Amino acid sequence: MTTTTDIPQSVPFFQRVIALRWDNWQGALIVFVIGMALAIASLPPQVSFWASSALAALFAVTLIANAWGKYIGGLLVTPALTLLFLMNVFPLVWSFGLSFFSYKANRARAPTWVGLDNYAKVLGDPDVWDRLHNTIILVIMTVSLQMVVGFLLALLFSKQFPLRRYLLILVLTPMMLSFVAVGAFFRYYYDPTFGLLSQAVRVFTGQPFILMNTVWGSRIGIVFADAWMWSPFVMLLVLAGLVSVPKYLYEAAAIDRVSGWRQFWSITFPYIRGLMLLALLFRTIEAFKLFDLVFLLTNGGPGTATETIALRVYRIAFENNKTSESTALAYILLFTVIVLTNLYLYFANRRAREAPAS
Amino acid sequence: MSTIELTGVTKHFGGFTAVKNVSLAVSAGEVVCLLGPSGCGKTTTLRIIAGLERASAGDVVIAGKRMNDLRPDQRDIAMVFQFYALYPALTVRENIMFPLHVEGLDAQTGADRVARVARMLQLEPVLDRLPNHISEGEKQRVAVARAVVRDPNCFLFDEPLSRLDVELRQTMRGQIKSVLTGLSKATVIVTHDQLEALTMADRIAIMRDGVIEQIASPHEVFARPTTLFVASFIGTPQMNLLTAQFDGVEGAHGRFTVDGQPIRLAVDPAVKRLAKGQVTIGIRPRAFIPDGAGGADTIAGRAELIEPMGAETLIHARTPLGSDLRVVVPREIKVKSGDALSLRTDARETHVFDGSGMAVRA
Amino acid sequence: MTDMTANAVGSARPARAPLTRRLRFGSSASGVGHAGWGRTVGAAIVSLIYFFPVFWIILTAFKTYEDALAVPAKFFFTPTLENFAQVFSRAYSAGGPTVNTGFTLYFFNSLFISGVSVLLALAIGTLAAFGFSRYPLKGNDTYLFMILTTRMLPAIVVIIPIFIMFRVTGLAGTYLGIIALYTVFNLPFAIWMMKSFFDELSPDVEDAARIDGSSDVRVFFKICLPQVLAGLAATAVFGLILTWNEFLFALLLSGVETRTVPVAMSQTIGGDIGVRWGLLAAIETLFLIPVIIVTFALQNQLLRGVTFGTIKR
Repeated sequence: MTTTTDIPQSVPFFQRVIALRWDNWQGALIVFVIGMALAIASLPPQVSFWASSALAALFAVTLIANAWGKYIGGLLVTPALTLLFLMNVFPLVWSFGLSFFSYKANRARAPTWVGLDNYAKVLGDPDVWDRLHNTIILVIMTVSLQMVVGFLLALLFSKQFPLRRYLLILVLTPMMLSFVAVGAFFRYYYDPTFGLLSQAVRVFTGQPFILMNTVWGSRIGIVFADAWMWSPFVMLLVLAGLVSVPKYLYEAAAIDRVSGWRQFWSITFPYIRGLMLLALLFRTIEAFKLFDLVFLLTNGGPGTATETIALRVYRIAFENNKTSESTALAYILLFTVIVLTNLYLYFANRRAREAPAS
Repeated sequence: MSTIELTGVTKHFGGFTAVKNVSLAVSAGEVVCLLGPSGCGKTTTLRIIAGLERASAGDVVIAGKRMNDLRPDQRDIAMVFQFYALYPALTVRENIMFPLHVEGLDAQTGADRVARVARMLQLEPVLDRLPNHISEGEKQRVAVARAVVRDPNCFLFDEPLSRLDVELRQTMRGQIKSVLTGLSKATVIVTHDQLEALTMADRIAIMRDGVIEQIASPHEVFARPTTLFVASFIGTPQMNLLTAQFDGVEGAHGRFTVDGQPIRLAVDPAVKRLAKGQVTIGIRPRAFIPDGAGGADTIAGRAELIEPMGAETLIHARTPLGSDLRVVVPREIKVKSGDALSLRTDARETHVFDGSGMAVRA
Repeated sequence: MTDMTANAVGSARPARAPLTRRLRFGSSASGVGHAGWGRTVGAAIVSLIYFFPVFWIILTAFKTYEDALAVPAKFFFTPTLENFAQVFSRAYSAGGPTVNTGFTLYFFNSLFISGVSVLLALAIGTLAAFGFSRYPLKGNDTYLFMILTTRMLPAIVVIIPIFIMFRVTGLAGTYLGIIALYTVFNLPFAIWMMKSFFDELSPDVEDAARIDGSSDVRVFFKICLPQVLAGLAATAVFGLILTWNEFLFALLLSGVETRTVPVAMSQTIGGDIGVRWGLLAAIETLFLIPVIIVTFALQNQLLRGVTFGTIKR
């Protein structure tokens, strides 16, 4: 097996693929995929796992060998790529494969091929669409709130003033709390008997205020807690943009007698536009994955009103033990996220051409 | 009337005084250059006129109105920034149009003005481009266009040519000057480049450490500098400055001891009123006349380095006691390294500065 | 935006050397404008309101059980430290023996796991970012895009296979397993951020050093790294916050010995005598301290890091 020369491009594809060389990653990829399918289909999961891992390792080695010709770059990048591959790509691919089988983690039976059955079952399940509906409502509400609050906070902190450092830390602390604490304590705040919210409302109405027992109430409760936690993140991004605007642009605008509103739209906004889109993307994706807070705050309640898709996947997988069905659903979720990401990248690239030069 | 009047303007930044008691009057249509080294306070003075800084003391009067308490947008002035300050998200056309929004012109008038200015500054080909897609020179012209499209009280330029290369500077100097000539507004240009000041200004105000040392026409500051600093700042190659002992006058000549050599130099009549003692003599490189004969009214030196400059030759010479001399002669005069030189001067070109650096002149 | 005139109607700025340069460029260059105490008051009001829920948690940590549930809510009370003591040892049932709760171990676990995984992610990620930046490979864009998308993955997509993987390979409940996982969580962000920093560096300085005889390794450590400290800081802080508070994976994948504080916290809620709010608050308050310290210490770098990491795409 030689590595000193690359296979010339003129060699036909088929020949390249079956060449017995360490850097023949295309060939290794094909072997890996086919081999893994066979392994999952015919072997019990423990064994198929190791078999697949071995094939994956082979594939990875060919990739590395392919990059080795570039020496330093490959060397530097390999550890990271390997880790990512092992912990991300490989499980992804494996679970993707698994979604085409019927498999329950708590039974020792080997998976059986069911093709697209899991997907069909999931897509045809009205519960799933209901959860999707829940999730979308939550996402829209929390992301909008975060963007608005984050933006306003950024405006507040966009100038240097005394004590700015310390006040900034104060505003960043919600992000630093653990979900468990936030979930537990907001349940405490929302509690009708001794929660602060109810007590505050009682001052005006004399009645205890029960937030979390209605569908919309619990949604608002979750959204409020989530937005409170993550608006500082949006603030940081927008602040970075605001701070990057050269001061002399505002001076020129003052001399040009331009109104404050127009100054904002023509000068400031182009600088923060990209960052706001980025914040929008991150927060939307995170919101779609909303799990921890919902789990701790309402556990999907009341009933299933606030159960998000992520929570549903968790339920199916760990409470109903329908492992492969849950992976199908998880993949649909992943697909949505990828579509969103690509939409964002499309818009961002278009904007990048029009973005202000630094 | 488009005029600017600064009276006793002072600016403190904490314990540091950037501008000390500056008084300046610019009449309509006049171009005044604030010239000086970095940190001399010229930009601060300009920003005070613009309203971007507030004077600690003194009055700023523009077009007859006291403007100390007015914000920049209330002063109706136009400014061209050193970094151009073009709005990056707007096209060239929109940039030029920007200051017109507040005037409430109808679309056609606005477009006409922009077109006229674009034609004047040859910006028509780039009107629809974004600032990061045009060249440095075009950016500069857009900045000027944005100022000129208005009818402001005055124009302020902050180092307008400092970011252009040498060729472009030459072209732009002429272009700016011709644009300004037609407009009869008071204009203040800040620069550290004396060539810019000499070519573009009606009057030059030379500043050092927050103070205006001299304000006069380009010819004045060159031919009759009032202080040592001005004399050494203006003129390339730099004026030769020699410390000397003044020993009285003899008719039209002053008796000096320069470098240990007694010398009689033709001087300005006012010198006879000067007390004896230490002075500085300033002689421009082109004021020397090599005189093979030597004599009591020449300075002796030895040529060390010869730099041919085309039509002229720059000679770096050294006096017997080690002082440097720069001499510029027409190229017909051939001098070799190592040659002994006897240099005569002209009274009109010999400047005497007293112990405090002030020129002694009628 | 009209606040910029605060400069024109200015306050005296304290003298700082070198003053002439600052006067020349400070006024026109980019950066935050200045506002006075008026804004401080406004910002203080907003910040304190925003901080209030956190403040209440910290306050509750010092309250007795009865005070915590008091109606109307008590702002003034006699503080007690018993909650903090009980974090580490308490009686699990009324009248029962006081037992060590194991929280010392849990705190240590959180510190250890987060710290190591962030450091590893920084090390591996920075090297990789350097590689991507300085030695672009054929498939560079594809790799980077893949790395970016792994950041986007919903956790539940990978949780099941990883869960099984961990069971099968015996990694469940080990430090190695969870650290490896958290390192992988932080890697995409680390690579992405550090790469954009490395892209910004001018190669001139490096070339000069190479000509002077430095090896590539020296160039990396003595020249490139010091310039990207802001990126390292930003990555460290965000990574730390992420792994510190991580719940789902820790819940499913950590064992009894390697349990982290968030998981232990959720168990404290479940079991015990009702919800002991004071106790929970005390745990969270203690848990919050390291994060605040780190963020505060790296604050300046953090903001610069966020700027660079996100503005230049």
